[in-house]
Amino acid sequence: MMFALNVSGIGKHYGETLLFKNISFQLNRGDVLAVAGWNGSGKSTLLRIIAGLVRPSAGQVGMFFNSEPISKESRRRFVGMVAPALSLYDELTGLENMEFFSRVRGTACNRNDCFDIIDRVGLTEHATKMCRDYSSGMKQRLKLAQALLHKPPLLLLDEPGCNLDSKGIKVVEEIISEQRQLGMTVIASNEKREADYADRVINLSE
Amino acid sequence: MHQTKSGRQTTQTESSIYLNEAFAIWFRDLRSEFRTRYALNAILMFAVTTLIAVSFSIGSFRIEEAERPFLYSVLLWIILTFSALSGLARSFVKEEEAGTIDVLKLCARPQAVFLGKLLFNLTLLGALELIIVPSFILLMCYQINFPGFFIAMIISGGLGLGAGTTIIAAMIARASTRGALFSALSLPLLLPLMITCIKGCERAAIGISSAGWPEVKIAVAYFVIMITMSLLLFPLVWEE
Repeated sequence: MMFALNVSGIGKHYGETLLFKNISFQLNRGDVLAVAGWNGSGKSTLLRIIAGLVRPSAGQVGMFFNSEPISKESRRRFVGMVAPALSLYDELTGLENMEFFSRVRGTACNRNDCFDIIDRVGLTEHATKMCRDYSSGMKQRLKLAQALLHKPPLLLLDEPGCNLDSKGIKVVEEIISEQRQLGMTVIASNEKREADYADRVINLSE
Repeated sequence: MHQTKSGRQTTQTESSIYLNEAFAIWFRDLRSEFRTRYALNAILMFAVTTLIAVSFSIGSFRIEEAERPFLYSVLLWIILTFSALSGLARSFVKEEEAGTIDVLKLCARPQAVFLGKLLFNLTLLGALELIIVPSFILLMCYQINFPGFFIAMIISGGLGLGAGTTIIAAMIARASTRGALFSALSLPLLLPLMITCIKGCERAAIGISSAGWPEVKIAVAYFVIMITMSLLLFPLVWEE
């Protein structure tokens, strides 16, 4: 079972302001790509375009499964995303959040599977606490858990180390390493440490 | 169990996943609402305040007997409609404000989101009608000669009101002036339904029996049309 991502000629502008243009790359299983660039260069926007949350002004994003194109509606099953702008439900506990995302994604995760994912990101003791009581680092860990829940072949990580302590950063490292077996990862970050996880780097400021 | 082409297992067949997703969203919204009570408080505060104001200022003794069926129907539907408008937009607006709308877009199909939000809004409207309609009847001494028709009108009108406000709430969620836009878009869209419901409740109060309850049929048709159009249009509203 082979998943592939093909980004060709992607460009984005808001009105007269050009964010980036003609971005092309192809990723296969095991690849890790870092997207770097100054603030406002469009790193997060590029990840949002790949995820299908934003329409590109030019170019297209193709996802393939065993060389067959994946329809736009089915893509959500193949993508897991972590980003500062993606929030989880504050009025639910960490475990309830995972159960909700599991049900809404149609995955076969039961309560124990959800608990395992929470344990994986180091939130075991806080699983039944309301997310509004979480620290920003704990919320970031829960976002990682949400992105991993359905074992996506494409993992999009926007500033994955944001707000994390050294243990949390270790978890991110392990996730990226394990993702090489499952699929591919795209990381948007200005942190040299996070760019070091990647095999290739695209700099949007150039 | 169902195996997808990616190898992951899903719990249901493709068609039932839509409903499963919709119920998941409905249940999550209900759970959140029980914990925060944003929409429920907004709707009930408006409804109860208006009801009390109406019952004190134009109580039953100030209106001629012959005019009561029509005027009471108008007042009842004004209270129900504007109470709904005061809170039902929250279903989508709160996702936008809390920043959870993107994660929902990543996880759920647009139609499932719409159905889940519709179920939640209908639940809120049901609770509102359950409290306000009996209170209105008691406080205003509203005499209903044809209760079956009246109940059917309240239920079918509520369904139409819920369907109409849900799609409008989705449309205005990203706008900066949401409150004004919600009312401005809702009124022309809901006006035909309101007129039908007022007419139906008036006839039920007077006790005019007509074959087939035409107002109920119109309200149900409105509901079906709104759902059908919304399921077709919602993906366009939902995506950027």
